Amino acid sequence: MSKRKLALLLGLGFSVLALSLALFGCGGQQTASDKGSTTPATTEPKAEQVTLQVFAANSLEKALPEVQKLYTAENENVTFSDTQFKASGDLVEQLGAGASADLLITASKGSMDTAAKDASIDEATRMDMFANDLVVVRAKGSDVVFGSLEDVTSSSITKIAIGDAATVPAGQYANQSLNSLGLYSSDTGKEGEYADAIKDKIVLADKVGTAANYVATGDCQIGFVYTSDLYRYQGIETVYTVPSDAHKTIVYPAAVVKGSTKVDVAKDFLEFCRTNADAQQIWSQYGFEVL
Amino acid sequence: MSKRLANTRIIAFSLAFILFITLVIALTMPAMADEKTTLSIEANTTVSADGRSASAEDVPFAINDFVRFNTGTAKAYEGIDYGYRFPMLDANSFAVVVTADSAVIYVPATVAESSWFRPAQQSEKGFTGEDDLTPLISMLAALDSAVSSGGTELSASQRQFILTTTTEYQFKGSLIDFGVEVEPEHYYVTIKPVEGTAGSRITEQAESASQTESASQQESGAQPAIDVQFVLSGHMLAASEVTVVPAVSGFASLQEFLHGIDYRPFWVSLRTSAVAMIFVFILGLLAAHLSLKINSRLKGVLDSFFTIPMVLPPTVCGFLLLVMFGNSTAVGRWLIDHGISLVFSWPAAVLAAIVVSFPLMYRTARGAFEALDPALLDAARTLGWKESRIFTRLMLPLAWPSIAAGTVLAFARAMGEFGATLFVAGNYAGVTQTMPIAIYFQWMGGHSDVATFWVFVVILISFIVILFINWYASHTQRFRQGGADLADDSFQLSADEGISALATVGGAGKPKGAKVKADKRR
Repeated sequence: MSKRKLALLLGLGFSVLALSLALFGCGGQQTASDKGSTTPATTEPKAEQVTLQVFAANSLEKALPEVQKLYTAENENVTFSDTQFKASGDLVEQLGAGASADLLITASKGSMDTAAKDASIDEATRMDMFANDLVVVRAKGSDVVFGSLEDVTSSSITKIAIGDAATVPAGQYANQSLNSLGLYSSDTGKEGEYADAIKDKIVLADKVGTAANYVATGDCQIGFVYTSDLYRYQGIETVYTVPSDAHKTIVYPAAVVKGSTKVDVAKDFLEFCRTNADAQQIWSQYGFEVL
Repeated sequence: MSKRLANTRIIAFSLAFILFITLVIALTMPAMADEKTTLSIEANTTVSADGRSASAEDVPFAINDFVRFNTGTAKAYEGIDYGYRFPMLDANSFAVVVTADSAVIYVPATVAESSWFRPAQQSEKGFTGEDDLTPLISMLAALDSAVSSGGTELSASQRQFILTTTTEYQFKGSLIDFGVEVEPEHYYVTIKPVEGTAGSRITEQAESASQTESASQQESGAQPAIDVQFVLSGHMLAASEVTVVPAVSGFASLQEFLHGIDYRPFWVSLRTSAVAMIFVFILGLLAAHLSLKINSRLKGVLDSFFTIPMVLPPTVCGFLLLVMFGNSTAVGRWLIDHGISLVFSWPAAVLAAIVVSFPLMYRTARGAFEALDPALLDAARTLGWKESRIFTRLMLPLAWPSIAAGTVLAFARAMGEFGATLFVAGNYAGVTQTMPIAIYFQWMGGHSDVATFWVFVVILISFIVILFINWYASHTQRFRQGGADLADDSFQLSADEGISALATVGGAGKPKGAKVKADKRR
């Protein structure tokens, strides 16, 4: 009886071991074959394989991978590891906590300033990449009326999705525009309080995409997102464009991360994003205005 | 007999459960697929699944390579300011400049001279209909509505449609230039005020520009008089040259959906949990064994220490791990300096899985060890067995059913780990993105269909795990009941059975032990 149990024990132990070995083996093989497929028989045999790790603002989630694909097609020795698309504040925090990356693109000057203060980025490489607009969206086909910014106080609107200003730049821009109406207490859009008239309506989202999703699923009637978010989410539509003087200019700065060992490639990729005509087509489709 | 009936019932129930889940998924899935693929089709116009091409019945031309450009750029190229410019596909592509109340359609000369496109003669006037422009606009509107994704649609409001075949078109105080080759082989639609001269240097422009910072960032140089909402571009071809593949539906769309899924989260989950389980299995058993042997006061403290990850929120575990191994604390930096850089990597995911699943293994193993009859262990000691031998040859086999169940539970817990993993390992597709993390991020990313798929997979796996534990428990129970005549159904082993087990274990061990001895003599 116990012999059988022992056999079972050994069997299980070995199968777990074998399984994990197989999986490890698989993983190893896969990366090896990946490398094989990307190692080009190019005219420049000296080109070293480089993998760039990019940290980018959440709103770039759909557009940037396409540009990266384009870049890899032109520079076969450069690939990208899974790009992190989070709230800019989270990315800066993550960099500060020791995550390694080569390139940081945020959705506000403020978050890039924080990264500079943390000494996470190389200031000399910093440049402005894109402009964007802030819009109010509703679920596609919804009958919510929103004619001016004052309508946030309207009784027909019970839930408003806004990015959490602590980390989400889109939330800060939204709060700045609410501040212009006296509905938010801080003119930086951060660390303030919502006025009582809208306090109970605000639903904070951990990134701008989440705010868009809250609206798309109908959990919130309206939300403050970027124009570019329309083109990466199904199910939302613009109901109002926030005037650009109601908030700070929406600019996406980029910089090479301090300690990156691939500074030249990272810089080249940034330049590619800004100047390549095919990349321009992608940015245009996704609603980013290249600066 | 009744046992067999119970088994049949279990299987029947589980089949019913799986069927139910499948039904739920099947009912929600097509709805999602439809949402993505349904296109508004106007006037017998067919639009392809990818929204790139369109054709219409009895119309001699079709559209291919359609794109919608939502923004342009005001960037100068090599010092030359082109005003505000939107891309065009190439020199032979058409372009539609859409403003709030009108749309200027530029059709290149090659198309205008073709035999299959006959626009109205009154090209510069407002469009009246009854010619090839009607189907063209219908196709454009259908394509645009397929890709507009919530932006203003071409068909959203009454617009005046204007057709032009010349590359320069003056419109409401703005000069629209089509097919401007800004860079070699890259063409743009440029929009600038009529006063602006083409090719003016940007430095001159900057002098004349006296605008606010925001405005100058939006439109370097002078602001165009018309507000362009978006630009459409694509190729017009003879209908015979374009094949429009309409969106698939039903089973085919499900197949396409399953084909398009990234299955790496499954493998990451499996790999992470499997490796974590090796550690948890060994560490859990050793910790359980250790906690049995030490005195009672220390035992309580040690037991709390081993168990606490089970009651703590996973985010607390994640936070502590991040503090311990991250760059922001002295300890973390010291570890990193000594080559232990864990955070946001796959080993971190394994570590998180180990921490959260360890207590499950430890608790079940300890419980099983404690349930063993102490007389049995003493009996073994009187036979001169070493403690290690008692552990491996007596305690383990006797406690095996519970240990196995504990392992499977711990495995399931490791598979389901979310909070701590996200904290220390992050969300890197193919590296640390496990199934639970994939569910969260897919949903957040607007891919609720993919999230639903993973939810289904996780439910199925959890269900199989529980089913296995139940089956295994009932299996060993029956086995035990068959072996010894137990009065009650409890897990407690009777002394009789234990001793018989001891006898068999001893018997099985003997030849091997004898062999070792023989080896030693040599």
